[in-house]
Amino acid sequence: MHTSSKLTKEFTKKWVKGLQICCSSKKDMDVLERKKKIKLCADIALASAKNATTSWSIALISEAKKNDENEILVDNLLGPESRFKQQKIIRQMNSCHKRVRSKKILKKSCSISQRMKKMGPPKSNLAAYIAKRLVKKRTQVLQRLVPGGESMDEFSLIKEALDYILSLRVQVDVMRNLANATEVLNQSNSSNVFD
Amino acid sequence: MQHCPYTTMNIPGNTVVTSGTDVSVFERQQARMKWQQQQQEGLFNGNDHQFRGLVEVKPDPGLQYGWPDFSDGCQGQAIPSLMEDHNLKKRKAHEDQKQKVVLKENSVKEKKIKGCSEENSAETSSKEKPKAVEGPKQEYIHVRARRGQATDSHSLAERVRREKISERMKYLQDLVPGCNKITGKAGMLDEIINYVQSLQKQVEFLSMKLATLQPRLDFDIDSLIMKEMFEVPAVAYSAEVANSAYFQVNSLLEMGNNPIDAMLRRSIGGPVSIPETFVVSSCFNQMQPGVTWDGDLHNLYRMEIQQESSTIPFQPHKFTGLYEGSNLKMEL
Repeated sequence: MHTSSKLTKEFTKKWVKGLQICCSSKKDMDVLERKKKIKLCADIALASAKNATTSWSIALISEAKKNDENEILVDNLLGPESRFKQQKIIRQMNSCHKRVRSKKILKKSCSISQRMKKMGPPKSNLAAYIAKRLVKKRTQVLQRLVPGGESMDEFSLIKEALDYILSLRVQVDVMRNLANATEVLNQSNSSNVFD
Repeated sequence: MQHCPYTTMNIPGNTVVTSGTDVSVFERQQARMKWQQQQQEGLFNGNDHQFRGLVEVKPDPGLQYGWPDFSDGCQGQAIPSLMEDHNLKKRKAHEDQKQKVVLKENSVKEKKIKGCSEENSAETSSKEKPKAVEGPKQEYIHVRARRGQATDSHSLAERVRREKISERMKYLQDLVPGCNKITGKAGMLDEIINYVQSLQKQVEFLSMKLATLQPRLDFDIDSLIMKEMFEVPAVAYSAEVANSAYFQVNSLLEMGNNPIDAMLRRSIGGPVSIPETFVVSSCFNQMQPGVTWDGDLHNLYRMEIQQESSTIPFQPHKFTGLYEGSNLKMEL
């Protein structure tokens, strides 16, 4: 798929760049720190490879930005040409928050009346009622999984999940290849040492 | 009545109704049916239902643009099943027997499940027991006929929404492995959740692995590039070669000619397992369907490979620059 190979390329470039930036800042890191940095770089690279087209990427970036020390990294990764994109990101996040708040208010006001309505019918079609609860619970879980999912309705949540799955796949593939490559490299290095 | 503007249309056909309000409603339904029939004749005969459902629904929001204003007024009224069956007809516009179906309350199977049925039940006081059937994909949707649905525009909008959701679910089914047998919305969501969780855990695990493999973060690329620069036949998979290897292996699978291919073959020494992982992962990638996103997969892909193979040689220049820069740091 040419979309995923393009994404692969973009992601790899940005990830490598991010790693370079990361390691230039600190000299010694223990394993856990390194792991966190690697993962962070990978996430941000993935999100920025999307160029702020999807809302989960926007959410990822904004979350990463909340941490001050990551901000430089994020800025560098995003690139100077995407300053306006950052504005867009900020605006979108604000609108998302507003949407979330207003949705919560709406839900609260409607929930009571809905509960009154619901009391009657569900007794007769219990199966449907249970099914609805199941679906609702699962959408909640999915909302928590997909970054930025809380402020989305069901339909766009599924769309975002789709996109997120694709990107995650790309990420996993690239990381796996790199890990394998370095593993083999280390093996060959050690074998060379012994020769 | 507020519905008056619609009844001025020329509406031939039966008007089998009981009350005054029903007449106008039914006439409107008739008109819509005719209009839709004209729209769809020759387009969807024998086509996949899904498309029918999609395109059927789309023109409607434009038509019923004014409806929300009207429908507010009739929330309190007990609108009979005719209103509901109006939604029915959107699916089976080409069938004429619907008119008989209209007046009866038939229990029917829904296409995508439970998630649909309870939404209706929440709004209506339905007489029959709803069958929450996990419908296997059928040629056309049978929709439950219900009494006393609150507003037509709401239900129509809901139907639109549900159609969209089921369409997305189809994509997801193709994307998530092992989902072909599951047709329920809840089950699908379950699978999706599991898959996303497993992918995220894989990312965590791989980043941990990378962290343990490297003494320092920058080691990832430098040594790999060095190897690649000097073309040591033993290994030499750098990140960018990882990229090119991707394309190469994919092109190998597609029997394409690639100049980097030769270099790859030269550089493959001992490790035979790596190409396998590449192949596996690229197979994995290839098996992604890309239903509407990529038109002609193979042609596009081949073209893309040709293009990108020409741009790959430019990358080494970039990386050598970086390598030299960081090399200085290492020496310091």
